[in-house]
Amino acid sequence: MSEQESLTTHQAVVIVSNYILGVGILTLPRAAAEKVKTPDIWLSIIIGGLIAMLAGLIIVKLSQKFPGMTFYEYSQRIVGKWIGCILNLIVIGYFIAMSSVMLRAMAEVNTLFLLEGTPRWAMIIAFMWVGIYLVIGGLPAITRMFEIIFPITVIIFFMIAVMSLKIFDINNLRPVLGLGIMPVLHGVKTTALSFSGFEIMLLIVASMKKPETAKKAVLVGIAIPVLFYVTTAVMVIGALTVEGVISLSWPTITLIKSFEFPGIFFERYESLLLVIWMMQIFTTFVITHYAAAKGLAQSMKKDMHPFLYVLMPIIYIVAMLPKNINDLFHFSDSVGNLAFVMFVILPIALLGIAKLRGAQV
Amino acid sequence: MWNTLVSYLPAWTVYLQALIVVAVPYVLSRIMSMTKNATDNNIEQDDNNPDSQHDITGKLDIDLDRIRTEYGDQADLNIRTFCLGNTNQQAAILFVNGISDRDLIDMHILKSLMIDLTLMGDEQGRDMSAPPFTQQFLKNNVLSIGVVKEVTRLSDLSSELLRGHTALLLDRSNASVIILGTRKEITRSAGEPSSEILVRGPRLGFNESICDNTTLLRQHGEKANLTITELRVGQRVKKELAIAYIKDIADDQLVQEVRERIERINLDDIQDAGYIEQLIEDNYLSPFPQVQSTERLDRVISALMEGRVAILLDGTPFVLIVPTTFNMLLQSPEDYYERWIPGTLVRILRYFAAFVSTFGPSLYISFISFHQGLIPTKLALSIADTRVGVPFPSLIEVLIMEIALEILREAGLRLPKPIGQTIGIVGGLVIGEAAVQAGIVSPLMVIVVAVTAISSFAIPQYNAGISLRILRFIAMIFAAIFGLYGVVLFFLMLCSHLSKLISFGVPYISPAVPYHLQDWKDFLIRAPLKLMKHRPKMMNTKNPQRRK
Repeated sequence: MSEQESLTTHQAVVIVSNYILGVGILTLPRAAAEKVKTPDIWLSIIIGGLIAMLAGLIIVKLSQKFPGMTFYEYSQRIVGKWIGCILNLIVIGYFIAMSSVMLRAMAEVNTLFLLEGTPRWAMIIAFMWVGIYLVIGGLPAITRMFEIIFPITVIIFFMIAVMSLKIFDINNLRPVLGLGIMPVLHGVKTTALSFSGFEIMLLIVASMKKPETAKKAVLVGIAIPVLFYVTTAVMVIGALTVEGVISLSWPTITLIKSFEFPGIFFERYESLLLVIWMMQIFTTFVITHYAAAKGLAQSMKKDMHPFLYVLMPIIYIVAMLPKNINDLFHFSDSVGNLAFVMFVILPIALLGIAKLRGAQV
Repeated sequence: MWNTLVSYLPAWTVYLQALIVVAVPYVLSRIMSMTKNATDNNIEQDDNNPDSQHDITGKLDIDLDRIRTEYGDQADLNIRTFCLGNTNQQAAILFVNGISDRDLIDMHILKSLMIDLTLMGDEQGRDMSAPPFTQQFLKNNVLSIGVVKEVTRLSDLSSELLRGHTALLLDRSNASVIILGTRKEITRSAGEPSSEILVRGPRLGFNESICDNTTLLRQHGEKANLTITELRVGQRVKKELAIAYIKDIADDQLVQEVRERIERINLDDIQDAGYIEQLIEDNYLSPFPQVQSTERLDRVISALMEGRVAILLDGTPFVLIVPTTFNMLLQSPEDYYERWIPGTLVRILRYFAAFVSTFGPSLYISFISFHQGLIPTKLALSIADTRVGVPFPSLIEVLIMEIALEILREAGLRLPKPIGQTIGIVGGLVIGEAAVQAGIVSPLMVIVVAVTAISSFAIPQYNAGISLRILRFIAMIFAAIFGLYGVVLFFLMLCSHLSKLISFGVPYISPAVPYHLQDWKDFLIRAPLKLMKHRPKMMNTKNPQRRK
């Protein structure tokens, strides 16, 4: 169970994909439809995915310059001790915020669709306990867990997608580019944010067996969620129309709820979607918790375990901060904006500085 | 600005909950690590302290006196003194009645020692036959016994005696004793293992003698490269233990690891392979068996061919196989003996059965108590109809029946076969029917419990079935608290545990993950034999090709 156990390329792919797939499946169609307001959001998603891939490649390039080191270690090498420390703290803060958002979103959806009466704190605490149990096992255990969850997600998701063809109407997706390309570009920022998750490459390139394949890993790792998101968006818009989607908080669940297959054991399948979605939330939560603790540990050059525990109450309190679901969405949007700055602009800058300083680092 | 910020400050309960969030797992992990340290504290044994008091002197009177004072009260210890080879050199043989082969002693040992040895020397024209005879001479020229060795210490002597060997003490000679292999074993003939029955396949199982077992392995397994290393375990009762592996397949590191763990065992008496299993496993807190135990010869041989290591212990028919992975628990040798299509289907069925056996009742609870909306309306209505008279929540309802069933199963296990069946009928049919009639439980619930129970019997490994049964109860409690969310949480926890678990350096959950597509040919499906060209990649074998 040593940390030294290195990751294979497809393990890196699975980590990136699992991390990206999270809240997005349920909210992306609405978030994107609000901005785009035409049925072309699938185009925005693809463009957003491409941008994410570009950003991922830059991050990989940066990480490959420092073999065997994570972002937390080489940031100080590039920009000096103090600025590096501040950067690390911001990244750690981002990961904490991200895992808090995941927890809270999970609790909100559960309250709405599965457990009306159960208090949120009980759900969140139980979730965090299961999470810490896994995270203590270190990156190898986390990776194996991701690999278990990934095929389950793929199978159930595409099963549900095929089922929802029953109420799918291609006309809702027409006209393609009816209002030109501008609305599509308008939504790109939102969709690109839903691909945040590739930044985990800042950490895991260091643990890869073959770091030179990291580029491939990040490309495939983002391509898989693109496929998921495009499928979701097409299905949701095709069934519920753009106007319908904008008015719903969780359009994907509504979609699954709105068709029935009597005769098979279940009539409705949103439970299945919720199950895989909770698993995906779990993966995102676990990896962000791990990333934040790893950051603290490496910044202070100490063992990781105490930091895992230290982070738990912080993540919990942050998760309880939003007063309602709208607060949560706002919070999540600002976390996304932070991600844009941190993981698109910053790596370019760092890469530039590293190139300039060249031999010194 | 300030006010909005203040309004976001969480209530004091949130801080309290945050404290609970961290306190519980932290305390648990402390307790775990404390127990772990306690169990890891195995003191190295040192039984090799030389003590001249217990050495053989080479003078018969003194040696015999010492033996008499130390073991004189043993009624079955036989000491026979005689004159060696028709000379005046005194000698004695010692053996324990019953466990040593009397025919061998009378016909071969005593007879050849008491004939005139001086004559024999003359015939060969050498002068070494004059008394006093040395151990060397006796071993080379006189004793017609296959297994002969020398010991110099009294404690070694006694342990050999008690295992059925015969000791030969000489007067006026070197300070050592010849041990003659006269052990007589009472063994059961190798029959069909009763705990793992196959419809098709060899009917041969191990028995309680390690000698027979290694013989079976040699006879049916690979010949040239099968390595069987002998070790002794137990401090008081020294038992023979053998590690078997195939030299040019098994990973050296693995063999070394197994050997080290066995050598670290520090217990006075190892009664069964189960002791070994528990003392060498990686995580004693896990509900899953991390070492496979089997009575079947074919299972051991195929595991050896995959690069695993087998551990045989004297006195038990159960052979341990390490490292164990999760898929082994749901495989049966028969999968390979039948054609691949039935083999595959049966195997998938078993995985499904394992799933039902773990999650069946918890899914029932979560749907009945929490998410009635998710089941088809007609079914929901009919369930509601049958549950009208049931006074308990579904968790209690399921617990009543599940516990009753577990008791029945336990009772049936220990009873003679004919009564066991009666218990099954009385318990299963009568109690189930009566419980429904009495309105304690609903009929659907009885169906769920029955299906679960039968599913758990479909798992070929008995101990794997037990661990799934334990997990079923935990799953039920999760479901009773959180409904479907609880079941998902439990699933995540189970998977987390499985991902963390490692058996002798191999992830327990492999070959499912890490993805080795080649290994998947023998995981959920059983690919046609022609396609299975490689040994499992996870085993890191020296010779990965089964065939070209």
